[in-house]
Amino acid sequence: MPVADRIELTTPVGRSWEAVIRMVLGGIADRLDLGFDQLDDLQLAVERLLAEGDPHDPVTISFELSQGGVRARVGPLRDAALADALQGPEPPPGELTLPRILSTVVDSYGVEEVADGHLVVRLEKLVRAQ
Amino acid sequence: MNPVELSTATDRDLLRRYHEEGDASAREVLVERHLPLVRSLARRYAGRGESLDDIEQVGAIGLIKAIDRYELSREVALTTYATPNVVGEIKRHFRDKGWAIRVPRALQELNGKMGPTIERLTSKLGRSPSIAEIAGEFKTTTEQVVEAMEAGSAYAPLSLSAGPSGDEELDPMETIGSTDAGYERTDDRASLEPALAALPDREREILRMRFEDGLTQTQIAERVGISQMHVSRLIRRSLERMRSQLG
Repeated sequence: MPVADRIELTTPVGRSWEAVIRMVLGGIADRLDLGFDQLDDLQLAVERLLAEGDPHDPVTISFELSQGGVRARVGPLRDAALADALQGPEPPPGELTLPRILSTVVDSYGVEEVADGHLVVRLEKLVRAQ
Repeated sequence: MNPVELSTATDRDLLRRYHEEGDASAREVLVERHLPLVRSLARRYAGRGESLDDIEQVGAIGLIKAIDRYELSREVALTTYATPNVVGEIKRHFRDKGWAIRVPRALQELNGKMGPTIERLTSKLGRSPSIAEIAGEFKTTTEQVVEAMEAGSAYAPLSLSAGPSGDEELDPMETIGSTDAGYERTDDRASLEPALAALPDREREILRMRFEDGLTQTQIAERVGISQMHVSRLIRRSLERMRSQLG
């Protein structure tokens, strides 16, 4: 996915700041011509990561936009349990876990960096042919 | 302890039973017993753009947190300990909603019209419309559409404090389950499974359709007979409720 543009947002974490993140995602979805449901999926993925990752400090979300879609990186999330869950085996059918939620709403995800207990989670959402 | 003994036990005895023996019924009695305190405190914040019921529900979360965090070594009455927790929870709720209160009326109105328009466009296009297509319908800018979408999110907080919005939905208080003995949240943070069973049937079914069967929001909306935006809201609220239970 060749990168054309990059947006980076560092924000405090908490319900009162979620609107800021959603607005940025809305703008990105507009630029990429994502469908309303794709925007909603991407917002949900980021929201769940921030909620389950339990960050205590500001988090940086970077977006790399290309014609093919958007790649987001969310971190640092200091949560070893989260890293284990995201890197572990596929959850059994019928179990509702964060990996299952992410695999449903984005095209791919992964833990990109784990150092000193910090991790950055990568999310990719492809532009669906309209 | 039988139900009668529980109802006549002192707060301290109930707290001891809950914290030392994991007796969830003792916790329920404590919550029920101190709901009048929550109602009394909630009334102070009435008339600020939130229904009293919603404020009471938020306050009840503060009460539950106070019960859960109470340390038996404290020589302080539960009411004394719970009051700042309840008030704090209510204040935090209003603070978090501060942005919403300032949403311009034009955006509120645009948001109100957006759901039916998205449904109509989805049906017409055979897919979910883009923001530009929605903006085209309203002859407005895409920025206005994004802002109006957010206005909707802000006015319908997707949290445990949102309260029930229909007959089929449980009051958040009813969805709060007991904590299993030895349960460690950290180990299970990524698993929402333990809280799934406590959701209302419809919400559980929607989550199953979305995350197990892989249906899109549009497909779920058609099956359940509600709008896509409502499906989106229910999914978020369900996940938030489940997480709150685990927290």
